[in-house]
Amino acid sequence: MPKVTIVEDPVDGKGKTVEVENGTTVIRAAAQAGVEIPHFCWHPGLSVAGNCRMCLVEIEKMPKLAIACATQVSEGMVVHVNSDKAVEARKAILEFILINHPLDCPICDEAGECNLQDYTYSHGPGHSAFEEAKNKKPKRVPLGPNVVYDAERCILCSRCIRFMDEIAKEPTLTFVERGDRVFIDTFPGKDLTNPYSMNVIDLCPVGALTNREYRFKARVWETSSTEGICPGCARGCDVNIWVRNNEILRLTPRHNPEVNNYWICDNGRLNSFRHVNSGERLNSPMIRKDGVLQEAGWDEALAHAADALKPFSKDEIAVLGSAFASVEDNYVLRKFARQVLGTQNIDFFRHEIEGDQDALLIRADKSPNAYGALEVGVAPSKGADVNRIFELIASGKIKALYVMDDDIAATKEREELLAKLDVLIVNHWVSTKTTQLADVVFPSATFAEKFGTYVNFLGRVQLSRPAVSTLEQERVPGRFNMSRLDKFGSAFDKWNKGPRRNVRSSWEIISAIGSLLGGKMRYQSAEKVFDELAQSIPSFKGLSYARLGDRGAPLKKAKEEALVK
Amino acid sequence: MIAIEALIKIVILLLVVLGIVAYLVLLERKVSAYMQDRIGPNRVGPKGLFQPIADILKLILKEMIVPEKANSFIHALAPIISITVAVGALAVIPFGNYIVIGGQKISLMIANVNIGVLYILAMSSLGVYGITLSGWASNSKYSLLGGLRSSAQMISYELSLGLSLIGVFMIDRTLQLDRITMAQSMGLWNIVYQPLGFLVFVTAAFAETNRLPFDLPEAEPELVGGYHTEYSGMRWGLFFLSEYTNMIVSSAVMVSLYFGGWSLPYVNYAAMAPNLAALVQVVTFFAKLGVIIFIFMWVRWTLPRFRYDQLMNVGWKVMLPLAILNLLGTGAVLLAVK
Amino acid sequence: MMTNGNGKTGPKLTLWEKLYFPEIIHGMSITIRAFFRPKFTRQYPEERWTPPPVFRGRPVLVMEDETKVERCVACGLCARVCPSLAIEVQAAETELDKERYPERFEINMLRCIFCGFCEEVCPEEAIIMSKDFEITFTDPRDAIFGKEKLLIPASHLKDRLEFLKQYR
Repeated sequence: MPKVTIVEDPVDGKGKTVEVENGTTVIRAAAQAGVEIPHFCWHPGLSVAGNCRMCLVEIEKMPKLAIACATQVSEGMVVHVNSDKAVEARKAILEFILINHPLDCPICDEAGECNLQDYTYSHGPGHSAFEEAKNKKPKRVPLGPNVVYDAERCILCSRCIRFMDEIAKEPTLTFVERGDRVFIDTFPGKDLTNPYSMNVIDLCPVGALTNREYRFKARVWETSSTEGICPGCARGCDVNIWVRNNEILRLTPRHNPEVNNYWICDNGRLNSFRHVNSGERLNSPMIRKDGVLQEAGWDEALAHAADALKPFSKDEIAVLGSAFASVEDNYVLRKFARQVLGTQNIDFFRHEIEGDQDALLIRADKSPNAYGALEVGVAPSKGADVNRIFELIASGKIKALYVMDDDIAATKEREELLAKLDVLIVNHWVSTKTTQLADVVFPSATFAEKFGTYVNFLGRVQLSRPAVSTLEQERVPGRFNMSRLDKFGSAFDKWNKGPRRNVRSSWEIISAIGSLLGGKMRYQSAEKVFDELAQSIPSFKGLSYARLGDRGAPLKKAKEEALVK
Repeated sequence: MIAIEALIKIVILLLVVLGIVAYLVLLERKVSAYMQDRIGPNRVGPKGLFQPIADILKLILKEMIVPEKANSFIHALAPIISITVAVGALAVIPFGNYIVIGGQKISLMIANVNIGVLYILAMSSLGVYGITLSGWASNSKYSLLGGLRSSAQMISYELSLGLSLIGVFMIDRTLQLDRITMAQSMGLWNIVYQPLGFLVFVTAAFAETNRLPFDLPEAEPELVGGYHTEYSGMRWGLFFLSEYTNMIVSSAVMVSLYFGGWSLPYVNYAAMAPNLAALVQVVTFFAKLGVIIFIFMWVRWTLPRFRYDQLMNVGWKVMLPLAILNLLGTGAVLLAVK
Repeated sequence: MMTNGNGKTGPKLTLWEKLYFPEIIHGMSITIRAFFRPKFTRQYPEERWTPPPVFRGRPVLVMEDETKVERCVACGLCARVCPSLAIEVQAAETELDKERYPERFEINMLRCIFCGFCEEVCPEEAIIMSKDFEITFTDPRDAIFGKEKLLIPASHLKDRLEFLKQYR
């Protein structure tokens, strides 16, 4: 284990000595010492290319400057990150890169989150000796359905090429031409259609690769970014949810080595938040009156639901949880079923699509929380499971059904069965076939509108934070991450009037009905629900929102299983 | 016959005075504008001459708002008291000597009371009721403070006001304004005999009329609008009118007592036709009045407001001793001359 | 700390000043001199004033004369720099060379404080301060000026554009 000294301050010359493993590169050793060495082509998730030369550092006893990304440490190495020579070298490199890089930051979408922009400010020379006209190269080239390429802005770091080779394992991109005419293109006859293709957009250190959908939509500094969990499959990738004017504009992956590393699939990135912005969102509780669903107030609808459930005996009622809902929602639903309704008929639908999976991230199970729902007891230990529930509905033994956050009327058959029920109560975020058949409908909050934890297929519990405010939940600091507009705008500003929907988390709705029916279930927040379930369910023992943090924590059981393996 | 004569005189005087008051407001706005390098109102009518009409129309048409918890009767009564006593004081002012109509001498003052000056002092002291009551009836802290300040101020300055006048009475041996005027028309103006008394009187008169630098009852930065904070429309307009009427009264008293009233030196009225003489006298009187009123405005747009403690200090520790000194001095001189 | 005669803090007064009346006369002589000074009031609606190029009137968007296209590329820097958050820009893609254009560009004239930061930060000289200072509306909703009110041909803004050239 060699010891390396990283000297950040060129004046006092005192460095920080870290002990790192054999074969570690200088840039990683510096990161361990808490020093960031500027870099373009190097990415922790990719192989080393060493072509941008941005990470040049001065290493004692070496005749020339060395690139930190490709130099391996040796015992007693002393690295000067900010010595005069290193600083001069970085200035020269930046001046070189900027020879042909257009200075059109105001037009460029990357502005605000651009490595080149940031480094030019912090390390750049501030001027250019180059007075000639810049190179003209192809602009607005669609590399695939979702990625647009601007060759002029490209600094040829090859991150995207390496990603397609190494991570997506589908070599698609390559350099073409040579010298100052070089740019990136797809191989002939190939398109950037890989299910992970859009990761190259995040990888691109400049604005050369852009998201076709998000292009020119908003500036980074107008949006707020919130730590969330992608609800697209059982992987539960960590994401940042970017919101402006209370509307989700994009998702980007958030680094979590235990779950998704730096990546996310295109489907999750593009489609997993569609329902939040959907025009089909339910915006008010509804009660069926005279055969038609009519809007009602919350109190009225809650009381109506409680009254509707009262007349049935426990065997006449069934409850369906959801793998799309959070752990808290499912826990409260189970408590509601067992303690208030007394029924054992509780289960949830699986949403597995066999074959639609791969070795990298994508899982066959298209719901984020099947593990979690099972873990909190949304499962028929003695009562009827999903199929049995439908049989009992067909035979008329089950007369009332509560469905949380799921569309269960997938087939014509099931539709007819649901129509047979005396009482059908549904929580959902958008209007579905199930809600259209229901007697009482509650609009529920989506993953982006509430605090909630999700357990991925590996048994990792992860916390998702609210990014979109609802009618009842003001966008307040502490609960929400705020953009500049959120912080300083007033309710009278036009741009502050994004839609805020009249929805509540499912745990809120169900605990309210439970209280009306005499159950002891009042919670102030999702965190309080989680604290209770962490007390009562062994596999969640010792977990709390604070423990989960940004990267989540494994279930106790998952830990033990891992140990056994 | 006398009653009809008095009635006609009252109506004419009221119309003239209220007209003058309306135009005084315009004058004040113009004076302030000119002293501040501005032009002032010039939009309504030629050179802004119809501005007072517009102002009054606005005041009349404006809604009169009475605060919910105000005493509505007294709230309505207070401005009436103010304007009544202000106008009432004008009854004993001699605007000229007399005119002759159909062989009959008609005096150019409404009532020739033998205690004329005392009557004016009494009326102007009554004016404080209007202000105090309006402050109390509005049920607002600002109004109440304004009203209280007004009473305190009136009491403090009433004394020196009265004492400063006694010198004049001692010289002319009468309380009737027409006789005092007559006495001055024969000899020198009283200002020559009573410079100190005049100074005290002027200062006290500023305080009595609530004009700057003594407008503590309506000090805007501290009391919003003072006693008339809760007034609007014509009720507020009445307070406004009474303030300017008071100014006319004070100026008229000043003219009569210290500046020879309607008389001019070196003019032999007996040589003129009586009605021509009366015309000259009235014009003279109003010219003098105008000068004094201009000085009132001039002072207002020059001096800042006193602090409340300064106001009280000046009233009790400076004005009162000066007035007494003036009284004693006059007495001593008169005794010595005799 | 200096004290005056009343024990309150304030400047030390001379006897002459303490006599008060001479100082009153002094003050009144100042106001009466002002009274007779010539006045320079402009009779506004009749006598109009054409502001000089330095004047910062309401911000407008420059439209090229020939193409009738706005210079603005919707970079959003004006919106970012605006201290009163008066500006809202929604960008969109265009086939033109400039790639992006403002699909919506709104200035809330109730918020605008005419500081001119937007003009200073603009990389395209696309938003500049015009000479127009007569901005009135009777409904707060009318205060939000959209592109139709903001776009002014460059030929109408020559003065200011020339003026800005000096500082480029």
